[in-house]
Amino acid sequence: MPQVKIIAKNFMDMVASLPAIKLDKLYNNVFICEAILRSLPPLAKKYVLQMLYTDVPVPATMLEEWVLADGVSKHRVAIDRLIQLRIFSELVDRKKQTSYSLNPTFQTNLRKHIISGGVLPREPMNSDNAIKLPSLQELEAYALRQWECFLLLLINSSKAEKLTGISSSMMRIFQRGLLSQRDKDGPRLTESGFQFLLMDTNAQLWYIIREYISNAEERDVDPADLISFLLELSFHVTGEAYNLNTLTEVQKNTLKDLADLGLVKLQQGMKDSWFIPTKLATNLSVSLTDSSVRKEGYVVMETNFRMYAYSTSKLQCEILRLFARIEYQLPNLIACAITKESLYHAFDNGITSDQIVTFLQQNSHPRCADRVPSIPENVTDQIRLWEADLKRIEMTQAHFYEEFPSKDVFEAACDFAREWRGLLWEDSKRMRLVVKSEIHNQMREFLHSQSK
Amino acid sequence: MGHGERGRSSKKMKYGGKDDQKMKNIQNEENYYDDDVDEDSRLGEREKKDTDFTKLELKPDHGNRPLWACQDGRIFLETFSPLYKQAYDFLIAIAEPVCRPESMHEYNLTPHSLYAAVSVGLETETIISVLNKLSKTKLPKEMIDFIHDSTANYGKVKLVLKKNRYFIESPFPDVLKRLLSDAVIKKARYCSEPYGDDGFTIGKTSGELEAGPGELLNEAELAAAAEEKETHSFEIDPLQVENVKQQCLPHALNYPMLEEYDFRNDNVNPDLDIELKPHAQPRPYQEKSLSKMFGNGRARSGIIVLPCGAGKSLVGVSAAARIKKSCLCLATNAVSVDQWAFQFKLWSNIRDDQICRFTSDSKERFRGNAGIVVTTYNMVAFGGKRSEESEKIIEEMRNREWGLLLMDEVHVVPAHMFRKVISITKSHCKLGLTATLVREDDRITDLNFLIGPKLYEANWLDLVKGGFIANVQCAEVWCPMTKEFFAEYLKKENSKKKQALYVMNPNKFRACEFLIRFHEEQRGDKIIVFADNLFALTEYALKLGKPMIYGATSHIERTKILEQFKTSKNVNTVFLSKVGDNSIDIPEANVIIQISSHAGSRRQEAQRLGRILRAKGKLEDRMAGGKEEYNAFFYSLVSTDTQEMYYSTKRQQFLIDQGYSFKVITSLPPPDAGSSLSYHSQEEQLSLLAKVLNAGDDLVGLEQLEEDTDGKALQSWKLKRSNGSMSNFSGSRNMAYLEYNKSASKKPKDPTKRHNLFRKRFG
Repeated sequence: MPQVKIIAKNFMDMVASLPAIKLDKLYNNVFICEAILRSLPPLAKKYVLQMLYTDVPVPATMLEEWVLADGVSKHRVAIDRLIQLRIFSELVDRKKQTSYSLNPTFQTNLRKHIISGGVLPREPMNSDNAIKLPSLQELEAYALRQWECFLLLLINSSKAEKLTGISSSMMRIFQRGLLSQRDKDGPRLTESGFQFLLMDTNAQLWYIIREYISNAEERDVDPADLISFLLELSFHVTGEAYNLNTLTEVQKNTLKDLADLGLVKLQQGMKDSWFIPTKLATNLSVSLTDSSVRKEGYVVMETNFRMYAYSTSKLQCEILRLFARIEYQLPNLIACAITKESLYHAFDNGITSDQIVTFLQQNSHPRCADRVPSIPENVTDQIRLWEADLKRIEMTQAHFYEEFPSKDVFEAACDFAREWRGLLWEDSKRMRLVVKSEIHNQMREFLHSQSK
Repeated sequence: MGHGERGRSSKKMKYGGKDDQKMKNIQNEENYYDDDVDEDSRLGEREKKDTDFTKLELKPDHGNRPLWACQDGRIFLETFSPLYKQAYDFLIAIAEPVCRPESMHEYNLTPHSLYAAVSVGLETETIISVLNKLSKTKLPKEMIDFIHDSTANYGKVKLVLKKNRYFIESPFPDVLKRLLSDAVIKKARYCSEPYGDDGFTIGKTSGELEAGPGELLNEAELAAAAEEKETHSFEIDPLQVENVKQQCLPHALNYPMLEEYDFRNDNVNPDLDIELKPHAQPRPYQEKSLSKMFGNGRARSGIIVLPCGAGKSLVGVSAAARIKKSCLCLATNAVSVDQWAFQFKLWSNIRDDQICRFTSDSKERFRGNAGIVVTTYNMVAFGGKRSEESEKIIEEMRNREWGLLLMDEVHVVPAHMFRKVISITKSHCKLGLTATLVREDDRITDLNFLIGPKLYEANWLDLVKGGFIANVQCAEVWCPMTKEFFAEYLKKENSKKKQALYVMNPNKFRACEFLIRFHEEQRGDKIIVFADNLFALTEYALKLGKPMIYGATSHIERTKILEQFKTSKNVNTVFLSKVGDNSIDIPEANVIIQISSHAGSRRQEAQRLGRILRAKGKLEDRMAGGKEEYNAFFYSLVSTDTQEMYYSTKRQQFLIDQGYSFKVITSLPPPDAGSSLSYHSQEEQLSLLAKVLNAGDDLVGLEQLEEDTDGKALQSWKLKRSNGSMSNFSGSRNMAYLEYNKSASKKPKDPTKRHNLFRKRFG
């Protein structure tokens, strides 16, 4: 099974990796152009805006003059990014002079957008008596609940409730790389799975959406269509209702999945059905760095290895369970203890001590967060020591030799192994030795020649 | 493992009542802290402990309330709540502390803790209403029922000694009637002319006015509490007192009697002229513990738990000075007898001829008709032939009616000795003092009923923060075994020498030498090195040229060495065997290095730490953020990969629960120390190894404290090291350190022999 590397990068990385034709097709959509512009690094943003009304290629040398000496690396990053996204095309003339020009579709659309503003393919429904919209708080609570429920299911918790839309086969795709399907004790969280759980909601969402898109073709959905629909969705207004009949059949199906993730809420009236985008959906196009506002911590770690988490979340409880023993679950507090056994269990699952310590530090309750260190030193030390304890044994593939015909042969063999730096252990009394597997072949040949 | 499982299931059958389900959870908690539960069964316990109480209903203003209460009796307290101080005082009165680190405390409600609560004057309804007020959630019904059930009978009956007549007193005439339906009690009753309808004497007692929970009650409740209450009583035959008390214990009528001494109205026993000196200013927590004892103008019997160095003796002396009657003070050995006598003279205006010491060396007698006697448990309980002189003194003790029986270090005295002491001396009020009330063995029951309930227990961390006791930096130093020592350690034929091998580990010696040098030279500290292993004690002390004290060191020599340690600039380190664990007062020391210890004894660890808890230096320096935040150091040296590691974790549990943390140090001595420390070369190490291996098995074992001729050591106890590993050896019957017996022999006790209240916990 291929290891999926967890990268908490944003949507645009994925957009950038689309094939050229698809990418060009994306730029037909005004909103995508705006979303892409928003996502660019500041310098790149400036270049695009500066060149928006320039119709001739701009020489690279001129661009370089725009930046100060210490901005060169940022300049490089910006240019690379723009080329990657095919917003810039690179032209090299006969004198080997490089110049850049904006992607014409992108340029036209953006100009249009700036002057006249965009018009979404659908308008919010007029709120009449038939539509009772949830308040923004209710909507947010709904979104978080859905998302948490999804995550619980994702990590295969017995505490999770069944989802309606997302099929179990799709779930398995999401779990790929996060859970390992190991022997009979069922799937377990892998190291990257744990890392995934420690990321903030937006980063997690990106990861899932990415998997969702990369899997689109298997569901007969064009990834570019899907991306453009998702980006479009992010320009809808949170909390407004949009009629489902404005959507294609594929989009309707997609919405069902997104409802499971908490991106939209589906509602049905007497004759119409509609969807209400939540914050999760509208945040999609916001680049990751902007959205990673630190949530307030909730964990109090004591010097006696007891941990108190101010939380009502089942998911957080499950996360803690990965490396701690849950002892009491109270209405707004989870009391647990970090023990050698609970940590060994975590290490066994590939979770590292550093991850645990980082998690504790990042989530420490504001009351302890000001304390230096926020997590008692003896606890962090001990977590690391316990991990180090497990690593004291180093495994080396080796071969065992015995029944040497004579002391001379045995000693020669020892010398030979020593010469090859492969001797691990010798017992001259009983004439036995262990050598590294790397030199097994040489050793065999040597012994063969000796016996002649 | 077999034992735990079998033990549990059999008990289940026995005590499978419906109440037990509730009880069981609570008792399981205690099991968790029990030394003798083996790992596997504990693990089972833990899994079961994953308890979901999310259904409890949060009150809307839960943010302002400081605690959560679970239906199995566990209580969580936020220490950062504005109500913390009041809540703490209340909880410590009604519940047993489980752990008290910085931010969150845990307590357990147990039948015993509730008994203690009732006996300091809290009533069932008060307990429930205050608890409910403090709780963030609605109180679980199970907990309310549990409090009702447990307190139904407690505190209803009091045994009062008034004008030298014993009365049984109760506000509930029905209860007295029930008692009188018992033949023994009926027989014991003095039939005098009947008063009132029930034939009971009716009197008035003033209600409790306590600072702690009182603050939480509203005015109406306060008024109710302060209101005078009508009490009913009848008189009993003084000769039958013990029988009546027996009859009231939980296994019989289950109305355990509280004992109170109305010393102000005692005109029979002569007053002792004793006052505290003006400079004896009790600290807030000492004041609080005294207020629990003298809550209603009478003196209650019970136990006060204060960390070592927190000034237990001032509490004892203050109690004696309040009662102002003859006082018998019992200590564990001759050295501490001297120290107690000194404390009495230090804090009070007692005249020299009013206080006397009674030990094998000094047989003094006080003049006049009231005074203070300081002696050892052994001197009183001694069963053999005494000298004529001693016999006379004992006879005097027997005949006298003591106002206060002051008992030091109650945690080390075995139950049968208590019984004997208490049967010999007739006292109105008993006060037990200790630093570490052991919770896991049977003796808590004995202490509860022989002395009285726990009246007060201080929080270590609060005392540290207040600068009353030293802030100790605890460290566990990991010393890797040298290759040669470890090879021998693993050999089967060396099973009896395992301890000697890991204690004599050259790396440990070097770490110890390094630490001594560092603290002596760099900081000018005074150091105590503790070793239970006599062989190691001698080897270390001789090699490093330091004085040592162990069981066989004479009283005179001990005093001399301690005096030098206190005064001389050249004697900064002293080696002590386990005789130094308790009561030897060495206020100068501020560093402890422990090179060998007593298996998994949490109490020993705490007692040893206690040797350096006495706060030194200026108060403002010691307070949090002061320039010397840590002014005492506790090092526990362990050889890695040996049994010591396992024991070490266990030993630290008590201190960790009090909020101490152990820092692990893995790099001592520093690698560049080289030949400046002993046993650098392999030859030296090998010759040390040979020495250990050649020593007889009896030499390298634990110290065996024979009963001292002068009664210094508490109790003779011999250890047999049987073949096989540490887990195999077991102690003899007659042991002072019961806990040791338990942790080592890993066998659940016969449940039928347990106290009624404690039996259930194994259900």
